[in-house]
Amino acid sequence: MNSAKLRKRLTAVSLNALTAVLAAGWATIIVWAVVVSFRPSSEPLGRGDVWFGHALTFANYLKAWSLAPFGIYYRNTIIIVGMILIAQLMTITLAGFAFAHQEFWGKKAIFFFILLQLMIPAAALLVPNFSTIRKLGLFDTTLAVALPYFGSAFGTFLMRQAFLEVPRDLVDAGIMDGCSWWQLLWHIYLPPSVPTLVAFALSSISWHWNEFLWPLVVTLTERSRPLTIGLVRFTQLGEIGARWPLLAAATITVIAPLFLLFLIFQKQFIRSFLHSGLK
Amino acid sequence: MMSLKQRVFSLAVLLLVLGLALAACGSKATSTPAPAATQAPAATEAPAATAAPKPVTIEVYYPVAVDAPIAKILNGYIADFEKANPNITVKPVFSGGYGDVKTTIQTTIEGGGKPPVLAVMLAADLYDLVNAGYVVPLDDFIKAMPNGSAYINDFFPAFMANSRYDGKIWSIPFQRSVVALYYNADLFQQEGIQPPNSWQALAEAAQKLTIPNKRWGIEWPSGWPYWLFQPLAIGSGQNIVKSPTEVVFNDPKVIAAVQYYIDLSHKYQAMPEGVQKNWGNAPADFAKGAAAMIVHSSGSLSGILSQAKFKVGVMAVPGKAPGTYATVTGGGNFYMLKGATPEQQQAAWKFIEFITQPKYAADFSIQTGYIATRKSAYDTDAMKAYIAKVPQAGQLKDMLQYAGAELSCMNLGKVRNIFHKYLQAAYNGQMTPEEAMQKAQQEADKALEMFK
Amino acid sequence: MSAAAPPLSHRKAPKWLPYLLVSPTLVIVLVFTAWPTVQAVYMSFFRQYLNFAKFRTPTFIGLHNYRELFTSPDFLQVLKNTAIYVAGTVPASIVLAFLFALLVNRAVKGIGLARLGFFYPTILPMVSAATIWMFFFTPDYGLFNSLLETLGYHGPENWLGNPHLALLAVMIVAIWKNAGYLMIFYLAGLQNLPEDVFEAASLDGASWWTQLWKIAFPLLRRTTLFVSTIAIIDAFQVVDHIFVMTQGGPSGASTVLLYYLWQVRFEDQNVGLASALTVVLIVIMLAITITNFVLSEREGA
Repeated sequence: MNSAKLRKRLTAVSLNALTAVLAAGWATIIVWAVVVSFRPSSEPLGRGDVWFGHALTFANYLKAWSLAPFGIYYRNTIIIVGMILIAQLMTITLAGFAFAHQEFWGKKAIFFFILLQLMIPAAALLVPNFSTIRKLGLFDTTLAVALPYFGSAFGTFLMRQAFLEVPRDLVDAGIMDGCSWWQLLWHIYLPPSVPTLVAFALSSISWHWNEFLWPLVVTLTERSRPLTIGLVRFTQLGEIGARWPLLAAATITVIAPLFLLFLIFQKQFIRSFLHSGLK
Repeated sequence: MMSLKQRVFSLAVLLLVLGLALAACGSKATSTPAPAATQAPAATEAPAATAAPKPVTIEVYYPVAVDAPIAKILNGYIADFEKANPNITVKPVFSGGYGDVKTTIQTTIEGGGKPPVLAVMLAADLYDLVNAGYVVPLDDFIKAMPNGSAYINDFFPAFMANSRYDGKIWSIPFQRSVVALYYNADLFQQEGIQPPNSWQALAEAAQKLTIPNKRWGIEWPSGWPYWLFQPLAIGSGQNIVKSPTEVVFNDPKVIAAVQYYIDLSHKYQAMPEGVQKNWGNAPADFAKGAAAMIVHSSGSLSGILSQAKFKVGVMAVPGKAPGTYATVTGGGNFYMLKGATPEQQQAAWKFIEFITQPKYAADFSIQTGYIATRKSAYDTDAMKAYIAKVPQAGQLKDMLQYAGAELSCMNLGKVRNIFHKYLQAAYNGQMTPEEAMQKAQQEADKALEMFK
Repeated sequence: MSAAAPPLSHRKAPKWLPYLLVSPTLVIVLVFTAWPTVQAVYMSFFRQYLNFAKFRTPTFIGLHNYRELFTSPDFLQVLKNTAIYVAGTVPASIVLAFLFALLVNRAVKGIGLARLGFFYPTILPMVSAATIWMFFFTPDYGLFNSLLETLGYHGPENWLGNPHLALLAVMIVAIWKNAGYLMIFYLAGLQNLPEDVFEAASLDGASWWTQLWKIAFPLLRRTTLFVSTIAIIDAFQVVDHIFVMTQGGPSGASTVLLYYLWQVRFEDQNVGLASALTVVLIVIMLAITITNFVLSEREGA
């Protein structure tokens, strides 16, 4: 009895230790960045001296903000992510409903065609999509960054899945009651599928907030450049090389809002993933 | 029959689809760049001298490569210029690095759009830009000046080296730098070492100053290796570029330069081995005393001075033979792009003239760390006062006499990538310098073939 | 589980309604996925360089671009790097994700903190994370090297400049970034597993380890399939860290397919060759996702 309990205790303790060590290791990246961002710029890093300086200073943040228009980058990123989210929520709900609930000629074919988007990632089509954007006259606009994502095969797939899980009796009852199609959608199909919508929304925000290559290709000026591109500028100060405290401050500036948002809504974030039926 | 609500809903969805198309057209209208929009008032033949000058707008693309507030500085100059020339509006675009600017211009022109009137691009990109038909020669503007040749001759010859092609001048120097050897002057004095004046002296000094696990004698970045390598080739007696269509990699002198670089780590133990991806860290390492010498851009001077607690020495890279020195230029020039109206080009040239005036050239240098491009800039009071405070700035200017031309040729991107591939392979010991340079020469010749 | 929707006998909904509902999505996929694919295939048979006036207009050259690709040592190196990259990052991320899910699925005080610690890399932009990792990989005093030194490592430390280590360095960053994201899917899977399975196993005296491999993992096969699809697509699609850390070097040692494509198109301005590369990438992606799809259909949707 006792030895089994002891073994269980030992297992628990060692698992906890392992978890703590791994998690701490994983977290070192961000912890170091935060610490160094407050280090005076006049104290270069070197052997045995890579954490705190002799003083804490906010100067790096001030300098970073003066060197790049982070306010504008924030605006652009929020516009881009917002546009994408709103458009996606609409298109995936409608399309998912059509595929889950309705019958129409060519349904299977169209569905598989849309799934092509999953199989051929946007990054592979950088070159032709870039020239399409050029031809549409959209170069250097936030719309250019957002437009290719307005329709989402992944989202459509998820919503179709979620709608298919709605119990048949509920749907039949709705039909019996004389509901029109959009009443069915709004009152029967959507409510139980909200976790999936939320999970999708969160992952869409996360992916597009952090996107780099596509915006790099279709944007040029502050008019449309998002945060990720603004940050890369700091790593490309070709003439002078890396100033870690400055870079760290710029990085934290880019990361902070999403991070705080995540900290506050962590439970919801994860719960929605768990309950969205993402199997 | 459809209910009213259903009709409305269907309409809404239809509008969504149409809305996308309309938004595209709308963006198309608003994304037309300003020069096109103001083309309407541009007259066809009105001579600029007689009639009241019509309003002109010019777009200028600037890359940002230092952590000085370039935007603020340039906006200040532009404000001065616009005050002196009320009919001209200058719209600066700060878009990223040199690569960004060049890529955007290329894709703009290729996509049938209107490029800016002026852009600051790498001096070394000359041939690619001319061959692609993106830029216009500047000789007519220079000839129209009252003192055109004096103006051009006032620029340091080293900085004009990448502006001439086919008998014409294509660019005007603006933000330029050189490769410098920084050394810890206090440490040198302490150890009784003279600033090195030859390869041998440099190697020995570096060796003497190396303390294992504490201090490197010298750090010599090689993550983007050609620029910092060129002084070695030049100092060996053979630069790696000969003409727009000829590069020299497999010359014994160049190979000797490669071998020397390798020897610094393998033979003298004075340098980290292999490819040094420390362009970013070298200035800080130097300031902290973790490296007694570094080879870096002149642009890092102010950063180093703000961090180092010792006297900072700067000099050109020693050459192979005692008493010889070498360096190489870098940075960006003003190019005028094709596709602008005559009025815009006149306005653009006025702007170039304005912003390259000695006092602005001096001010720009003082505020950003770039080397002032004109000799007369060093006669201004501001510059004299600055050099009194920061003598290294004057020493950097003096190094220009040892400068060789920066690597520049046709198909530059490809040739440079080839050179990097094999140079790094040699540094990493994947092939001998001889082998690497032979292969590099072969592939580079192939890449240059169709341009001859 | 739900049955397929029976035919809709609805007098109200017009016949063209479903088409209207799917049209926005369909149009987007047409314009930004299908049409570009066709374009890429078409352009791959032409020669076009944008940086040289003589070659600015495309000229037809048949299969020349493909021949050039498959006989070019650079491209073969890229293929090799890509294979190593995918084969290295995908299984490692999945194994770590599973391990992390198990570790944080326990009701221990403060486990939320650990979960945050594993997951937060997901919400960082890859370029930010890679920028910080660049410091960690610095020889002599970068924190990654300091850690290795305390663990007794005395080998080469020039992660980003050493041709044998550069690819490994970018792989490490990718694994660090993705493990937490994939962990969430395993967490969901674990929480949906029937409780009694584990209880029965514990009663039988099965150790934690046995429960892990003999019971939990096989039950999570479908999750693993889903997670591996995501991981593979991600491995081909995300190259931001290569831009920041190694620029594909040294000497092309860390250049993978998508990065090479970007270089050929935007640095060499070689539109024809870039299109051929696009086709190659598409073919590979299609092969992988179709295989994955077939496998998961067999598992039983």
